[in-house]
Amino acid sequence: MSNAYATTDQLVSAESNIYDRGLDTAIALSVVGFMLGFVTLVNLVPPGASGSTLTTAFGTLLAVVVGAVGITSLASYANVVPVTSQRVRGVGLGLVVSTLALTAFATALPVTMATLLGIMLLAEALAITAAGVSSRLELVDAEPNMSAGLLSGGALGVIGLVMGAAVGGALTGFGSRLWLGGAAVAGVGLFLLTILPREDLGSTLPTAIVVGALGLTIVTGTIGVGWQWNPQTLSGGFTGGAVIPVFLLSGMLLSAWSAAKCRAGFGARGREYGAFLVINLNAFLMVAVMATIVVFVTVKGAGYAVHGLTVGALTALVLLTPALLVAVKFARTPAGTNDWNSGARQLFRVLPLAAVGALAAMFASVLVTGSPLRYVYDYTVQVNRQGKTLDTAVAVTPDTTIGTLLLTALAMVLAVAFFRSFGSLRKVGVQSERARLIRRAVPTVVLVFVMLSTLFLVLGPAPFGLPLGGTLGFAAVVGGAVAASGLVVYPLAGVLTSDEPTLADSAQREAPLFTLGVFGGLGLLLATLLLQPVAGINPQVGPVNLVPVIALGAAVASLALVALTTVAKRSSEETITRRVLAEERRLGLVGAAGFTALLGLHVAVTSTSFTVLGVSVANKGSISWPMVMEAYIPLGAEPGGIMPAIIGTVWLVIGATLFAVPLGVGAAVFLTEYAEQGRFTAVVETATNALWSTPSIVFGLFGAAFLIPRLGGDESLLTGMLVLGFMLLPLVLITSRESIKAVPDEYRDASAALGVTQWETIKSVVLPAAMPGVITGVILGVGRIAGETAPLILVLGSTLNAKAGVNVIDGFQFVSEPPFIVNDALMTASASLPTQVWAVIAAGVSGSPQMGWATAFILLMVVLTFYAVGIMARTYFRRKLNYE
Amino acid sequence: MTDDITTKKGKSVSSRDRVDGATYAVVTIALTLAVTIFAFLFLPAIALPMLLAFVFVTAVGWVTYQAEVARILTLIATVLTVLTVGFITFFLFARALPAFLDHGLDLLLVPEQDNGESRWFFWLESVLPSDSTFWNPLSGAYSLIPMIWGTVVVTIIAGAVAGPLGLFGALFISEVASDRLREIIKPGVEILAGIPSIVYGFIGFQVLNGFIQTNFLDDGASFLIAGLVVGVMALPTVVSVGEDALSSVPQSMGDGSVAMGATEWQTMKSISIPAAFSGISAAVILGLGRAIGETMAVAAIMASGTQFADPLFDIFHANTTLTSLIATQYGSASESTVEVLFVAGVMLFVIVASMSIVAQYIERRMQRKLKGQQ
Repeated sequence: MSNAYATTDQLVSAESNIYDRGLDTAIALSVVGFMLGFVTLVNLVPPGASGSTLTTAFGTLLAVVVGAVGITSLASYANVVPVTSQRVRGVGLGLVVSTLALTAFATALPVTMATLLGIMLLAEALAITAAGVSSRLELVDAEPNMSAGLLSGGALGVIGLVMGAAVGGALTGFGSRLWLGGAAVAGVGLFLLTILPREDLGSTLPTAIVVGALGLTIVTGTIGVGWQWNPQTLSGGFTGGAVIPVFLLSGMLLSAWSAAKCRAGFGARGREYGAFLVINLNAFLMVAVMATIVVFVTVKGAGYAVHGLTVGALTALVLLTPALLVAVKFARTPAGTNDWNSGARQLFRVLPLAAVGALAAMFASVLVTGSPLRYVYDYTVQVNRQGKTLDTAVAVTPDTTIGTLLLTALAMVLAVAFFRSFGSLRKVGVQSERARLIRRAVPTVVLVFVMLSTLFLVLGPAPFGLPLGGTLGFAAVVGGAVAASGLVVYPLAGVLTSDEPTLADSAQREAPLFTLGVFGGLGLLLATLLLQPVAGINPQVGPVNLVPVIALGAAVASLALVALTTVAKRSSEETITRRVLAEERRLGLVGAAGFTALLGLHVAVTSTSFTVLGVSVANKGSISWPMVMEAYIPLGAEPGGIMPAIIGTVWLVIGATLFAVPLGVGAAVFLTEYAEQGRFTAVVETATNALWSTPSIVFGLFGAAFLIPRLGGDESLLTGMLVLGFMLLPLVLITSRESIKAVPDEYRDASAALGVTQWETIKSVVLPAAMPGVITGVILGVGRIAGETAPLILVLGSTLNAKAGVNVIDGFQFVSEPPFIVNDALMTASASLPTQVWAVIAAGVSGSPQMGWATAFILLMVVLTFYAVGIMARTYFRRKLNYE
Repeated sequence: MTDDITTKKGKSVSSRDRVDGATYAVVTIALTLAVTIFAFLFLPAIALPMLLAFVFVTAVGWVTYQAEVARILTLIATVLTVLTVGFITFFLFARALPAFLDHGLDLLLVPEQDNGESRWFFWLESVLPSDSTFWNPLSGAYSLIPMIWGTVVVTIIAGAVAGPLGLFGALFISEVASDRLREIIKPGVEILAGIPSIVYGFIGFQVLNGFIQTNFLDDGASFLIAGLVVGVMALPTVVSVGEDALSSVPQSMGDGSVAMGATEWQTMKSISIPAAFSGISAAVILGLGRAIGETMAVAAIMASGTQFADPLFDIFHANTTLTSLIATQYGSASESTVEVLFVAGVMLFVIVASMSIVAQYIERRMQRKLKGQQ
């Protein structure tokens, strides 16, 4: 909350005595017990475990605890994450002590897990009683109230009722009504015992009785490992394997609360500590559940999902480039706060860089030595309803082929990223007359090229029977490519031949050449490149393919510019010059990335691979990921993958977004900017909120009743898109409305004061300001609908083992009668990730659970990626808004 | 638009012309759209050409009268959104109507007994074992009562999980956690909400059903597991809405309590929670709505069963719920069964929508109250 709690720090850092230390250990023991309860509940360690199994389990636990506490205390000692609270320190120490004691116990005595858990409960009961009694006898310093309060009394009374009923029922049977008596006695007894005595006894004795009773039941074997209770009336029953962990979970929660109360000396502060401990344990539980789900699905599905994944080492290196840049940026981020000075913290900044560097070195070593990096494992497939184990491996091969899609996309992303960090070089340096002339000429030439391309596109490469493509087009491509290379070399030559005294000065003087060279060269080469496929040519000079060679040369030249400016910047002292040189360097990086992208684009549009120095760029890259890139292979040795489902999900998401986003944003603009705020907007808002919480299956029913009869009468991809779009619509509307509302009215007023019309204000002031919120909302919403299943199985069906993906782009056809455009791909059912998982379930014994896990894993990763990106975008925009 | 607009070339265009042009554009756009919608409703074959005409007219209008066209487009978007809500309501009810007319209240009754009459359903009555078949499309037995009961049981268990845990989670995020911890936990809860329901269902189907067989001597699927899983799924809703409610309690109220010497927990217990109580109950209502509407996890865990549990509170029994009935039966259902399924859909829609509206009403009232306008 606020600074009003500053005193809490002083309180908790007071020196602790033996009573405090003991209770800290008791709290720690209950936390350990709570965790062990889960461990036994999920049968990670069965309750009946004993001997070496038990010793191993506790050894592992000890290692984990000692490691975690050790690292934390090291961090605290090094002042990275200072831990000042004596309570936290005490609990940390207690964790180590109690796990040590438990491990010793498990090694020394011939006990089972269940008995040990029972002993833990008994120890807790003893510790709490001792604490309560010593406080009552005024042996320690505490401030108990007169009573533990009705809230605690009520809670313990309910626990007493349940226990009394169970014990009474077990002794007399549930047939007679005697168990009611037992329940009443125990409930009322515990209630009175809680509220009547002073708080120190009232909040310890009843808990100690409950926890002790639970412990005794386990230790004496009344409820042992093999215990079963199967009431005739129920279709299920209870076993020791389930009941003992539940006992432990509830008992430990209770004793943790009680011990925490004692530790803080009862009274208001004791209650606070107790309540906070329970709240913290609950939060820990939620995070643990989430982590368990994700980890579990990963463990179950990842092996199958990445079977046969091979990547060429060079491709892997290309993939690493963005990570490398991000790591560099992270390491360079200046320290923002004052306490950002210790060496340990700086270490954390460079750790990612070191990790990426190590990975890159590993891939490079594969390239150098030529021996692949393989991780060999096996996975299980389902053949004739039987599991069959296959060997597979994840490998990095010394393959030097790079796929065009990957290269172009990554290079483009990098180019855009560099361009965004590039500011401007306008009005820097001196522009020569010749440069000005060329600057004017470049756009004209590009325009001519574009017109030529359009001509060829419309009339074909040989219009009116004239072989223009092979002649005029050829000449244009060669000329354009050569001119582009000239443009890129121009700044390099200009700087090197300049007669300024230093390199830095000449680089600053020739700044106009930099922009001209990089942007002009990029534009001209792009226009040239696009002329090739429409003119049907691919100029070769001898064995050399002209355009990619020039693109490569231009990339190298741009890198040379980078090197040149870096050298110049090192030698320069003047701030302005250094700034200009930094800008020029960024420009050089834009050029390098951009020309690399053009190289990839060339190979993509001409389908001719390009090889230089053993590295080749080809349309078919060296990534092979069967699960994602192949369809199901019936009766094959390998199971293939789920490519159709992935493509289906991609199209569903695209279609839904295209439908919902314009509609939602438009409606939000109208409701917030144009409409009178009143009853109508309130009703629409309520309706959209109601629509948002409408069960997804209802959307499926709606799609089946409304859309399917109107869209071909059968399950189809288009219906799926629209139904998901309907689901996405309310979220887009709600978030867009919120972010438009959040734009301050001052913006609108200022714009209006400048005489700008309402629509212009909305377009250029309100929407740009609201865009971050809208984008975040859309990303999160898309994450939700990407995993949506229920409506899809009504409107899209569920296909197991689809053998081909839908081809929407090639599916468009023009016909002469209404509706003039048809797309069969959109009108047929398709596989999708969520329905594929459902199909595995619905197939029963003939479904392959391994493939189901793998599909679920991929689906989870897709959805979580959307969420992670959405949340990161929100954090990024919020920080930007707050600090800039 | 009262003055004449002077163009760059010095020619003046009467504002009247412009208004007329804009009006024409707007009217044409609205007309083509209306025709498109009608075409889609009654003559789907020509809907696409009409849609293209609409797009063309809009594009032309956008170039000439951008401001006016933008306005009408946003209005159209609003109207379409409202229409969507209307269509959903209308078509659900329209498809469910035949079943209502055919079966009437039979859908909510215990089916025919010995004397050939269907009986009114009384909860007490069904505590006693009943042998009548509730759901059998082949013999025309359509009673939704067991499914409603299944939904109720699953929702109760889910509420018992999501309610207290969600309240504690909301308290943790809004009051207890340090800023840094909050930055981690809050997105964590959101991600928990993002895990697709089919993934939960798959875990339940593959793992938890086996778990309950060994540990609770059950024969497989059960309300208990379905309820627990749905509870975990509803948890994020409760946490985030409850957290919003707790954070909307003005800081000054808590500060006042602290100034009086109260501890943080006392402040929470006696100030924050009572002040945000209605918001927290709205959170629980929304969470329960989520639990009622949850389909895939329940359908994956409990795929079959159309009879009552005996006794009613037997949480180890398995039964379809309203949602999973639709999901599992729709594909193979005959026309008359489909109509009954639409009745189930209408029930879900009405219940969950009204829960949402109630929750919104409660939230708004609380906001008004906390802002001191009441």
